[in-house]
Parts: sequence; structure tokens; C-alpha cells
Amino acid sequence: MRKINTQIYQLLMFLIFSFLSSCSVQQDTNTKDSIIYLTQDVPVGLNNDGPAASIPESQIGIVNLQDALIDYAIDTDNIGEVRSLNFEKFEGRLAKEWFFDKKNLTWTFKLRENVISCAGNELTADDIIYTFARAKSVTGAAPIGWFLSSVASIKGFDNEVLSNPGARKLGDEVKKIDRYTVEIKQSAPNKLFLPALSTFGIRVFDSIEAKKNSSEEDPWSHNYINNISLPGFGPYCLESWSKGNEFIIKANKNYYRGEPRIKRVIFKRIPQSSNRFIIMRMHQADIAYGLTPREFNKLSEFNGIKVVGITGNQNLFLHMNFKTPPFNNLNIRRAVAATIPYKWIIKNGYFNQASIWRSLVPSRYPGAESKFDLKWNGIDKAKEILNSEGYFSPEDLLVYKDSFKLSYVSEKEDILAPIATAIRTEMRKAGFPVELDPIPLTQYGDRQLVKRDLPFAINSEEKPIVVDAGYAVQLFFASADAGGVNNMVNYSNRKVDGLWAKARVSEDEEERFKLITEIYQYLEEDIAWLPIAEYKTRWGAKENINGFVWYPDNGIRFFDLSMDSK
Amino acid sequence: MWKFLIKRLLLALFQITFLVIAVFFLIRLLPADPVSRFVGMNASKEAYLQAEMSLGLDRSIGKQFQGFLLGDKNSLGLISGDLGKSWVSGEEVTQEIKKFLPVTLELITLAFIFAAGISIPVGLWGAANPGGIADKGTMVYSLFAGSQPEFSWGILFIFIFFVYFGIAPGPLGRLSPLTEAPIVITGAITIDAILAGRFDILLEALWYLTLPVLTLAFVLSGPIIKMVRENLIQALQADYILYARASGISSMRVARDALRVSISPTITLIGILFGYMIGGAVLIERIFSISGIGQYSINSILAFDYPAIQGVVLTISSITLLIFLIVDILHALVDPRIKL
Amino acid sequence: MSDKKIKISLLDIFGFIITGAVIFLAIFGEFIVPYDPTMVTNTVSKGPPPFSSWPSLLWDVFVNDLPSPHWFGTDSSGLDVFSRTIAAVRTDLIIAFSANIISASLGVFLGVILGYFRNILTEALLRLFDLLQSFPVFITAMILVALAGRTWVNIILAMSLLYTPIYLRLTRTEVLSLVNRGFIYASRVSGKTEFYIAIRHILPNALGPSLVQFSITIGFAILLTAGLSFVGAGVRPPTPEWGSMIASGAGQLVLGDWWPSVFPGVATSLTVFAFAVCGNFIEKNYDR
Repeated sequence: MRKINTQIYQLLMFLIFSFLSSCSVQQDTNTKDSIIYLTQDVPVGLNNDGPAASIPESQIGIVNLQDALIDYAIDTDNIGEVRSLNFEKFEGRLAKEWFFDKKNLTWTFKLRENVISCAGNELTADDIIYTFARAKSVTGAAPIGWFLSSVASIKGFDNEVLSNPGARKLGDEVKKIDRYTVEIKQSAPNKLFLPALSTFGIRVFDSIEAKKNSSEEDPWSHNYINNISLPGFGPYCLESWSKGNEFIIKANKNYYRGEPRIKRVIFKRIPQSSNRFIIMRMHQADIAYGLTPREFNKLSEFNGIKVVGITGNQNLFLHMNFKTPPFNNLNIRRAVAATIPYKWIIKNGYFNQASIWRSLVPSRYPGAESKFDLKWNGIDKAKEILNSEGYFSPEDLLVYKDSFKLSYVSEKEDILAPIATAIRTEMRKAGFPVELDPIPLTQYGDRQLVKRDLPFAINSEEKPIVVDAGYAVQLFFASADAGGVNNMVNYSNRKVDGLWAKARVSEDEEERFKLITEIYQYLEEDIAWLPIAEYKTRWGAKENINGFVWYPDNGIRFFDLSMDSK
Repeated sequence: MWKFLIKRLLLALFQITFLVIAVFFLIRLLPADPVSRFVGMNASKEAYLQAEMSLGLDRSIGKQFQGFLLGDKNSLGLISGDLGKSWVSGEEVTQEIKKFLPVTLELITLAFIFAAGISIPVGLWGAANPGGIADKGTMVYSLFAGSQPEFSWGILFIFIFFVYFGIAPGPLGRLSPLTEAPIVITGAITIDAILAGRFDILLEALWYLTLPVLTLAFVLSGPIIKMVRENLIQALQADYILYARASGISSMRVARDALRVSISPTITLIGILFGYMIGGAVLIERIFSISGIGQYSINSILAFDYPAIQGVVLTISSITLLIFLIVDILHALVDPRIKL
Repeated sequence: MSDKKIKISLLDIFGFIITGAVIFLAIFGEFIVPYDPTMVTNTVSKGPPPFSSWPSLLWDVFVNDLPSPHWFGTDSSGLDVFSRTIAAVRTDLIIAFSANIISASLGVFLGVILGYFRNILTEALLRLFDLLQSFPVFITAMILVALAGRTWVNIILAMSLLYTPIYLRLTRTEVLSLVNRGFIYASRVSGKTEFYIAIRHILPNALGPSLVQFSITIGFAILLTAGLSFVGAGVRPPTPEWGSMIASGAGQLVLGDWWPSVFPGVATSLTVFAFAVCGNFIEKNYDR
């Protein structure tokens, strides 16, 4: 026994030392047109209606493999280190052109000809029909295609679809006119139609390839798309996919906008952000996403590496539930607002890569004007308000101990724990009995969206995927019975509901803008949310990689990038 | 021997039955609702009910258990070896486990070979002259190594060997992302590489596994050394050894017997540690970006993925039970005092 | 009882001193710390002052009555690492001791019962506890803690559940070797009830291995708490606790900030090590 073990031991030592000497030449990446992209996780599923669709890492897979009918044009006026989109201007993608018949609420899309999918099939009207029929079938685990279609007021995509199986068949609301023409009908005028079509949730499938991989139990190929591949007409095609590890895409040679300049992208799952940092630092990868602000700052100091960023739609706000006392009291919400250490958060939480968010709309979003004025500031002011409400000492507030459990997503602890601790410190100074309560993302989602019983939280996750201030109202602030979707703070104001009902179907651009701006004035007065900071969406990249464009889902389109030869 | 085996297997069956019940109901006691992740974008009542139905959570808990055991619309049931589909990825849980388990087994097997390879000789060396400098050094080392948080050492090793000296590979997983992995046969990359005849990949995989294996082996070596050393010292002082010595049996022979006696508790310890490590390697997996079963289980837990959690706990526990059985058999084979 | 002399080595003394210091800090730590361990300051991620300046700084603090510097630096939240390292002693010891006291009492009691009264029922119970031992410790703890809430109580309960089978096994083995001893027969003959014998005679004599195990498992409990923190299932911030300090500081090692994780890391190592040494001492001198 001893002898054998000693031999194994010697052998292993020998092997290890011979590696140490032979392999210590570090490999350099981005030879051969391949780039390595470091991410917290590779796509978990590629199905827009699948269980993994709400995971941002899955969405980035979808948007690189599939294309939409239309998308926003890239903003050519403001060229920063990351370009943005021009949210006033749409461009054809798979659709060459489109018309809107106001009287009949009908959109006509002319498709591009000779668009070839990864599987070699040509794009036709049938693919569009398939895409909407699939969405309306609500056979996936999470009916996101249906939901975004309903947000766009596409006819027949209403709540009845979910409760009545008879309503799940696609009628003539999406109609094939000829091989390259489709018509889509709306049930009411709605400005969100085109914005919704540009999201990851309504991207066009290669119907021939999708049907090929269907089965009797699974006519819409959910299994195939969840686990094997995503048939589409996008700039990239899937080369290999090992979940929880690696995801490799290669350029679609037939892509109608030209073959992508980056020929191959290797998504590598590196769960620790500090590991993504050191791998970038050692030049063993090309792009990294999701580092902490401090790691990004540090990374930018190394030779040959740059960090690019843009204030997009990521922000941090305080969630106070209107159904949980004492947050139903406006003065308490004001006192809480007065304690927030904005400067500490910007400086020490985001290392100056954020700014105070003085609005309730991401500053890049069109559709309304919103100015959140901070009228109350400082611990003394907070105490004064509390006194006027009859709370003179910390003990008086102890009855609300459970309401002051400040939750946040524990997966984001690296960034959120310092911020939450700072808020706790300041609030305690004013007498609030705050404790921190980090919970896993799924549990957070359950309590926020389904149970809606989360009393108090800091949230850095909410970004309206449809780029419009009005959509944000429908999503977050309208009462549930007024069509509100994810009103997690249980805010309810009849005036807001009434204004939104008008704005929703308004056909006049200017009137709509005014109505929605008025809504935001109510939201600001009521402190529906307490906005704290807008932080930058950032990427670390090798210096020779250019052309970053920011999209509202924060996923890179590798088609936009180029790589200088060194 | 056979009687013993059959008895143990029957026992394992009893335990696993209980395990299945316990795991199933334990998870459902947890105060959290897995449906929410499906309604992430639209939390309307209708969407919720639709998602609940598609997961089969609208049924009574008894019906759910029946479905889990005997099969329902989503799976064939545990009876047919089907653990259902993951609620996160939509893939068969058995397939996912088949993919992630070998990764961890490979990592910890190498770590144990390495740890045992170091610890047993070191332990013997320490025991050879109890009370000497070597013995004291060994003991302090074993106490020290056994009391370390492995993840901080992992991070430290990466920092020293990868960042500072640049002689170790980065925490990029099991292979360089630029290397094409061999065709998956067993799932353990070293074995697959050998089967594919790709010795370059084998070397690369071992090279990438060096730091994680070293870190694990460092922590594991503590208790193993201690165990070897103490048992050997005890064995050498045991009456029958003294008797054997006194009756003039060659010292080689005596040493061999003492070693055999002292090795059997070590085997037990290694078995227990091995079982522990299948789930416990998760910290190392995380630090070195290795997607093993530990990572998979943590992700499943955080995502409330019931089928996956059930599958993982069942699999790991069953393997552990199997290891305990093997340990008992080995124990009997090695230790001349025990007869099966 | 043996008349073997108790030998105390240098290592043992070292272990005792650390253990004593740890227990002292657990009780009086809060009076020593210069900063509130849970309140942020305005200096974030600042390193400790160089050791060469410590004498003059100490002079300033104790003689000139200046405010205390951050001896061990501050972490990414601007919390004073020195105060937290000291304050964490209590948290960690409470978790480790409570978990071990619960599991040891339960395990020893069950061990005596299951070892002394042997029938089909106790055999089945024993096998069920074996089963518990086959559960992946880390994953089970994670399930219990992450989903039932990251509170002290949940962490303690999860650990107690996991450690009980260890004590049970150890005690039962010891009991099995005791039941056939002469003094047990003697008390049986003198008409004592079985239960009385089990508690009065078997229990005290079967305690030895558990005592040794206790000091070892205390260390494991601290390490497990640390590991749980690393995967986001430890105590809630900003509770001072070594494991969560190491875990949150570990990521900053790569940025060059070694102090938030190294100081609590050294404290953890020393403590676990000291308990292991004590266990070793008991083991060495325990009459087998």
C-alpha cells in the first residue's frame, strides 16, 4: 500500500512539475478572430417563452442569434465611448419597410428578400406568422411573447388567451399577404407597438427549422429551443453550447447586413467577479461584463485594457410598500428620503461611476419629463418630520420593526451590501430600527411580483424593457385594476390611473407626452419610488475592440463590434 | 460476505426510500414560491395560474408526490429513473446531473489521490519516531491544515501562482476556452481525453486542475495525516505487535501488519471525507470556475428548482451511502482482524 | 483511572492561551472595540497603518487621547475591520457552541438510548440517522439557511441537525463497549432500572469521545459558517462574523486589499487551530 501510494505521489509530483515548466507560457487570446467573453453565466435557455427568459444572460444569447422585424437606429449624434440608440427613429431589420393604416389600425410589413437563416432557409411571411402563432399558443413556461404582444395591443392577444384555451389560435390579426408581406392588426391605438417589436421577446423564428425539431407533445419546439439551439435569422449561429460552462457562436456568413466582423465569440462562465477581473487583467479574455464598480475602475488602469460605459437604464431606488405601515404615511416616506446618504453611495458604493437619480424615468428614455426634487435632506430634518408625526424616540418606531427589514438581492451582495449598510447606518441615526435582509433573487422576485409583500427594499434590477416612460407607468405605477402589471409597491392613485388610461390610447404625440409628464409629477410628490442613483452599464475590453453599442436589455450585439489587428 | 452485502443493500434500499420521502417533503416545507420566476415580466393573476399549472403545482401535495414517484405529464417518474425536468433550463435533471457530477468526481478523486499520496507517507514518517521533531512538525501541520477555510486559500493560490508569478493557469475552468473539449463520453475530461487519444488535452486538463487539486489536497491532508499518524502509533504499541516483535517475526513483516491495521480507519475517514466533498467541493468549484455538481446544486437551491434540488440531493446521498458500503468492505479486506 | 502523568507541551500552552483569549474577547470584546462594528464610516477600503507607526499611534490613543485609527483598516463598506474582528468572536462562538451543545446533547442522549436498548425500533432509528449523515452537509445547510432565512437561529439549527449523527455514532460505539462491563452487571443485579443504569452509569462513561469531538466540531462549525457566507447563506450583514468578513473580503484580494479578509482569516485559523489543539490535548490525556 505504501509503495503504491509513494509511486502515485512521485508520478503526480513529476507530472505537476513538468507542467509547471512546460506550460508556463501564457496563451494570448484573440488570435484567429475568436474572442472570449466572460460572463456570470452562459445562456441557461434560448427560448423567449421559456423558463430562463427573464435571466439577462439568456437574453443576450437570443438577441445575437435572432433578429427582430425592426429596431432603433444607432444614435449618430452623440458618440461616446459607448454609442446609444436613437429612440426617436426606427430602422428596418428583417422588415424592409412598414406602413400604418391609422383607420384600420393595421400595420403592413414588407420583408427583406434573400434573408437566409443559419439553417439555410429563406425568410418569408410564414416565419412571422409562426412567431406570433407560437407566442399566442402560450405553451411555454413564461408567455413573454404573448405578454409583449399584448403590451403592443395586438388584436386578440389579451388576458382571455391565458384563461381560455379556445382563444389561443392565431386568427387573421397577423395575416400573410404574399410571400414577403404581412399585416398585423391592433385592437386599439398604442404607441408601444414598434418599441415592443424591438425587444428580445418578439424575435423572428426560422419556422422551417423550428418545425423540424418539434414533436407531437411539443409542437412549438420548446425543448429544442430550451436546450439545443435557436433557429433564427440573426447575425450569429450557435456552434456549441454546454450549459453552466460555455456558449460559442460563430458568424452567420449569409447575414443580410453583412458577415459580422468578429467571427466567433466564446462565452465563458466565470461566476466570481473577482475572477473575471484577474482573467481580464492577465489578458486572457477579450470582454468582461458584470464587475464591481471598483474592479472596473482598477481594470482601466492596466495596459492594453479599456473600460467603456454609458448611463443607460440601470438605476437604484428604494422600494417602500404602500400596503405596509408606516410606509403608507407620506411623511414617513419623506423622513426616510431625508436620511439617504446619496453622496456616500455615489462615492463609495459606485466609485463615482454613477450620479444621483433625480427622476423616476431612466434619463435616456423618451416619453415624459420627470424631475425628482429632494426637498428634505439630513438626519435632523428626518428627526423633525418624525417628531411632527409623534415619534420622538427610536422605541416609538419599534412596533414597525418588521417593516424596516431592508431587503436586497443577495446575489448582488458585492455591490449592494455596502450601500445597504450605509443606508442602515444613517437611518439608525435618525431612529429607524433598520435591519438588513438579503434574500436570493428568486425569493425576492416571488415576494416582489407575486406576493407583493416586500415592505422595504433597495432595488437595482428594474429596467423597463420597452423604452418608453409610459410603459414604465403601466409596468410599475398603475393600479392592478387599471392594467398595472408589476406594481410591486402597491401604489394606487386614481388620478394616475385616469391619466394613463387616456395616455395609453392617445394618438397625439404631444398630448401623450404631457399626460405622462403629469403622471410623473404625482409619482414624485407621492414618492412612489425613492430614486437614489443611476449607475453606468460598463464593459471591460481589450483596447483593440471597438464599436460598443448600448441596448435597453444591456446585452452586447457582437455584430456591432470590430477588432483592430494588433 | 454475500449475506453481509445483501443485508447492506437491503438497508440502503430502506434508507433511500426514506430519503426520497424526506427530500420531497422537506423542500416543499420551505417558505418560498417557485412560480414567481416564470411570471417575471407579467405578474398578473392569469399568468401566475398558467405558470403554476405548467409546473404541476396546482395539484395537491399528495398528487405531486405520486407524480414524482410514478410519473405524470412532465416525467416518467422516479420509478423509471426520471427525475423530471429542471424548471430553470427545461432540461432533464438526470441529463444535467450526468453532465456535472463527473466533473466534481474527477476533481475530488484527483485531490484525494494527491492528498493521500502526501499524507500517508508523511503520517508514517511522523509516526516512525513519535515525539521527534518530524512528528511534532507533522502534527502541527496536520492540525493547521485541517483548520483552514479552503476558499481563502484557493483565492490566495490564484493570486500568488496566476497573478503574481504567472506560472499557473487562470481560474478559467477545466480547459482553456480556446481548446476544443474532447467528445463527452464519461464527462470527466481527463478520461475523455485518454479515450479520445488526445494526450495534449489530458495534460492541459491536469494542468488546469493543478491549483484546485492542490488547494483541496492541502485542506484534506490535515485530518488524513493525523489519522494515519495516530493509528500507526497506536498500532505499533498494541499488544499483538509487541508479541510479534518479541517472537522474532521480521521487522518488515511487523511494520506491514501494523500499517494494514492502521490504514483501515484511514480508509473510513477518506470515505467519509469523500462523501462530504461531493457536495462540499462547491467553494473550490466556484473559485476556480469549475461547473461541477456543487455549483449546480447551489444554483438550483437559489432558483427554487425543486426537481433539480431533489435530484441532486438524492444522487449525492445515494453515492455517499454507496461509498460507506464500499468503505466497510475495504475495511474488512484490509484489516486482518475483521471478517465479513 | 490511570496514573499516567498529564503531559503539557508548548503547543498545548499555545492552544490554551488562544482559547482563553478567544473566550475573554467573546465576553468583554464589546468594551474594547474603538468603533461600532456595524456603522459605516467615510473611509472605505483603507489599509491599516504601517506596523512601524503603531507605537506612536498607540501613544496618541492612550496618552494623548486622540481618536483611534483603523488598526486593521476598513472594508468596502467603510466598517472598521479591527472592531469587527473582535466583535465577531462572540457571533462565531455563539453559533459554534450552540450548534454543538444542541447536537452533542441530542446525539449523546440518543447514542446512549440507541446503544443500550437494542431492538428493531432503535436499529431503524439508527439507520435513519446514518442517512442524515449521508446528506450532503453543505447543500443541506444551504437549503435550510438560504431558504428559511439567513438568521443565527436557522444557521444553528441547520448545523445541529447535521452534527447530531456524529455524536450519536461516537457515543453508541462507546456504549456498546461498556454494556458488557462488570459494573453494569453489578448495578443490574442490585435491582436498578435499566433506564437508571443507562443514564447513571453508561452516560458518564461514554462521554469521552464526544468531548474530543466537541472541540473539533467547534472548529468545523466556524469553517462551515464561513463557507455558507461565501455562497451567500451566512449571517446577514453587517453582523460581525469572520466567515462573512472573509467571504466579502476575498474578492478584494485581487484588488490588492488584503486586510478585510486576512485579519478575520488569521483569527479564524488561530481559533479553529486552538480548539483543535485543545481537542488533541483531551484526546491524549483521556483515559481510554
